[in-house]
Amino acid sequence: MKVVLQNITKIFPSRNKKTKDEVIAVNDFNFEIPDGKLVCLLGPSGCGKSTTLYMISGLQAPTSGKIFFGEDDVTKLSPENRGIGLVFQNYALYPHMTVQQNILFPLQNFKGENRLSKEVMLKRANEAAKLVQIEEYMNRKPAELSGGQQQRVAIARALVKMPRVLLLDEPLSNLDARLRLQTREEIRRIQRSTQITTIFVTHDQEEAMSISDYIVIMKLGVIMQTGKPQNVYDDPANLFVAKFLGAPPINVFSGKVENGKLYVGEEAVLDVKGVEDQEVYVGIRPEGFKLDKDGKLSVKVTGVDVMGRDISVVSTSESSLNPVVRSIISADEMGNISGDVAKFNLKEHKVFIFNKETEERVRFGKQVAAHQKIVEEMEAEGQSYVVHNGPLPREADDVAKESVLPEPPKNVFVRAFLAVKNFFIKVGEFFKKLFKKKDENKEEADATPTEEVKTETVDEIKSEEVKTEAVDEIKIEEVKTEEVSEKPKKSAKKPAKTDNEG
Amino acid sequence: MTENINDVNEKVTPEEKEEKPRLMKENDVDTVSKKQTAMKVLVQIALYAFLVIMALIVLFPFYWMIMSSFKTIDEYDALVPTLWPQNFRWDAYKVAFEKVDFGKIFLNTCYVGIVSTILSLVITVLAAYAFARFNFKGKNALFAAMLATMMIPGELFTITNYITTVGWFGWDNTFIILIVPFLVSVFYIYLLRQNFMQIPNELYLAAKVDGTSDLKYLWKVMIPLSAPTLISITILKMMGSWNSYIWPSLVNSDKAYWLMTVALRTADFGEGAYVDYPAQMAAVVLVTIPLFLVFLFFRKYIIRGVSRSGIKG
Amino acid sequence: MDNKKKNQWKAWLYLAPTVVLLLIFTVWPMINTLRMSVLEGYDSLKEIGGASFSFGFDNFKQIVEFYRFKDCMLTTILLTFITVPVSTLLALVIAVALNSIKFVKKTLQTIFFLPYVTNTIAIGMVFMAMFNRIPVGDTYSYGIINNIIQAFGGEPVNWINGGSSYWANIAVVSVYIIWNALPFKILVLLGGLQGVNKQYYDAAKVDGTSRFRTFWRITVPLLSPMIAYVVITGFIGGFKEYSSVLGIFGPSMGPGNHEMDTMVGLIYESVSEQQGQASAAALILFVIIFAVTMINMYVSKKKVHY
Repeated sequence: MKVVLQNITKIFPSRNKKTKDEVIAVNDFNFEIPDGKLVCLLGPSGCGKSTTLYMISGLQAPTSGKIFFGEDDVTKLSPENRGIGLVFQNYALYPHMTVQQNILFPLQNFKGENRLSKEVMLKRANEAAKLVQIEEYMNRKPAELSGGQQQRVAIARALVKMPRVLLLDEPLSNLDARLRLQTREEIRRIQRSTQITTIFVTHDQEEAMSISDYIVIMKLGVIMQTGKPQNVYDDPANLFVAKFLGAPPINVFSGKVENGKLYVGEEAVLDVKGVEDQEVYVGIRPEGFKLDKDGKLSVKVTGVDVMGRDISVVSTSESSLNPVVRSIISADEMGNISGDVAKFNLKEHKVFIFNKETEERVRFGKQVAAHQKIVEEMEAEGQSYVVHNGPLPREADDVAKESVLPEPPKNVFVRAFLAVKNFFIKVGEFFKKLFKKKDENKEEADATPTEEVKTETVDEIKSEEVKTEAVDEIKIEEVKTEEVSEKPKKSAKKPAKTDNEG
Repeated sequence: MTENINDVNEKVTPEEKEEKPRLMKENDVDTVSKKQTAMKVLVQIALYAFLVIMALIVLFPFYWMIMSSFKTIDEYDALVPTLWPQNFRWDAYKVAFEKVDFGKIFLNTCYVGIVSTILSLVITVLAAYAFARFNFKGKNALFAAMLATMMIPGELFTITNYITTVGWFGWDNTFIILIVPFLVSVFYIYLLRQNFMQIPNELYLAAKVDGTSDLKYLWKVMIPLSAPTLISITILKMMGSWNSYIWPSLVNSDKAYWLMTVALRTADFGEGAYVDYPAQMAAVVLVTIPLFLVFLFFRKYIIRGVSRSGIKG
Repeated sequence: MDNKKKNQWKAWLYLAPTVVLLLIFTVWPMINTLRMSVLEGYDSLKEIGGASFSFGFDNFKQIVEFYRFKDCMLTTILLTFITVPVSTLLALVIAVALNSIKFVKKTLQTIFFLPYVTNTIAIGMVFMAMFNRIPVGDTYSYGIINNIIQAFGGEPVNWINGGSSYWANIAVVSVYIIWNALPFKILVLLGGLQGVNKQYYDAAKVDGTSRFRTFWRITVPLLSPMIAYVVITGFIGGFKEYSSVLGIFGPSMGPGNHEMDTMVGLIYESVSEQQGQASAAALILFVIIFAVTMINMYVSKKKVHY
């Protein structure tokens, strides 16, 4: 089952009435997830990857755009009608049910002709448990399992109803490092054997690189680049992607191109024929350095990290935008570093240059052909190669705002409901105006719920109330802790009298 | 899809394997989505209908109380009732003020409420402080014993307290008798102790280093940090004296020492067929309104206190 | 060492008022109640006068054999077992409904909390007025409840006036107790609901769980600690019921003479004299409450998921 996202945009209404600063969580997202593949949505927190996942699941409705499962437009379908399995970050295993009951739960919801007999349900639950290798824990409660085991139960619960699409929301983030490694192999194995189209959300680039067929790198609600992990790593389309992928991270220098030569600082480090003169950022992967006595790029060595087979040379350079420059070289070459200055030559395919203003990649030499090959390959596989360049629309989002205005719903029920709702909102506003002068604070508190309803679609009425409640509580707690932390400072200022009691 | 999962039905052909996990057919999408929206709207309507009806039921006694208080006796007694008074009259309130000396009773209630609240706060704070901050022999045993007394119904104490205060101390028909027996509330001590314990120990040590005395630390640090709990206690305690009936009616027969509820329940609004219900309702309104006002202003604190206790008043 | 001693001394100083008051008004009453209950025919006035009483369980015998004891017990038990389940279930449904709406939620929450901040006796008088009937000539002017019944074509019921049936009285008092008990239960349950991780509901939604099933299989189990708390406090409160009856019926505790009296009512009537029997009654009530609480705890330990 392929999953197609067409112009998906999600806007969260602003909580602050005065500024009206809505949050565009996902901005005009276009992507096709091929059948049976594992795709990672990757990006820093707040990039909209989880929102995208929730929109695919149907738990959140897109503000505009369409979602297709295969040929079916599922945009308006609620989650239970989409045939998806969802694994939550905290697993959301029902704590009062045993592992078996948890896995059986989705099956027991089938109604009508889909209804299963008890034997079939048990059989399927057992098979799902076997698949994730937790069959010996069937009678335990989730609290009696380790994090990794809980994770597997959650996956079994998502798989047992044979979903068309499996969605995983940061499923490994609550596990410790070793378990994370193990579980991600496990997920890969399960996905391979079931061939279920899987979408995996993570902020960990290493995780994404190792597990996925394709990755989608997002920033501020926009796709920055898509592609196979290795291709994206080797051929980043912009500075953000280059910086986001790779550990240790890429070294970024300030530089310029002049007369077909790339300068870092005052030194011409590489020939880049055909590239126009411009100010650039130069990104050099740590493995892109070759130690050479006559090397063009010289750095000040401050230390060496031994990593076994390789060593990582830690150095500084005035042109570097990172605090340190890391270069990984073979341990055999360690002896070639003498004194505190190291000189490097650069491997051409590990050096990326980006226009300083747009942060867009400027390819040179063989890079142009390599890029061409990657794009062609993706197109041959029916994949669209998506990149974003230039400023991010969240800063200049007028276009998006216009496209957001909700269309009047066609359903009679919905229209009637909205009409009544709007009436109440107007009545509420009227009263608010009446009382405005009397009590400013109170008005603020009362205003919030009405205001939220106004901007949200019917589908979401229930979804966010808890937060509002919780926020009040949290505020109290915050005030408390602030007070607490202030007190000792005050008392510390006083001249210390010694305590005679002791 | 998978060999494992599909083993459930071993005979399925590959095509069926594709079909099996699909929960619906392609052309269903539109119908399903319409159905689902309709369901959502219906559920919302049902929810609101239910809640509004329940809210009306909850509110109705208040409505009836207020409306009745504005009616004349004749209108109230009419065979066909009126949901809305024919004309609003304050007569019932005049009668209510004649029958119940609200001014005096109000002062009495406030006096008892304020004095008992202040004393009770002092005692509670000191005890909670001792439990939260000091280590002394028998601390845990004493605290556990105190908590255990919370399980015993108060009625069990009333008999002896009546004998002690009225028989031995001769406190009947005074204000003291309304205040002293109820000064200690184990629950409030518990609540405040929990609050105090949350304040990090480092603060106390820092204050000690600076030579702050224990009482000063209590006053300057712990009390300000526990203000919300203290406000909750204050309001609940005040409401308690406003609402107390059983004990005051038991020990104080002299009108001069009556509290609000006793005066209300004992006031003579006539008997049998001649009860002046509008006046009675007016009196009830006068007793209820201050509580509502307190509630509106201190909603947060009342709810905060109540949700932890379940003690009314 | 000095410091420690000083602290000990200080702690007890801070605790002094609490301890003294507790000794006089809590500890002594507990001992004295036991003492009074086993002194035959105990009367404090006579004791102050110098009389002495012989040890025996006569008080228990007399109070149990007292002609109104059984009725009081029955009324108390009936009221408890009617109001606790009904109010808990109603509160649960209201709390769940409140938790799944957004618009005007705060307002409705406030409304549902209102009965809590009222005076039980004062509002009891309002309920009395609503269920009352007033003789006018040779017919009656009925209270609003009967008017509503009539509007739907029913016959007016004599709810609380002279000659009314026991069950009608029970019904009225139960309605009032439920009305009064709702706010606290809704508050606690709603608090519990807001503490439930929303992801459980998302997960249920993804699996296509019906609302009914979500309620019984997820909400109720996850809320079971709160439900247990509400039920236990409800039972304790139910066995101590008194002011609701007093509010509706006044000191007569019934349409005529003590028909709706409760256990606590019985105790209070004998406080100024017959303290031996009152103590015996209080102890019996305590044992019942204790037993019911223990049973509740036992059941909830088995059923409640923590």
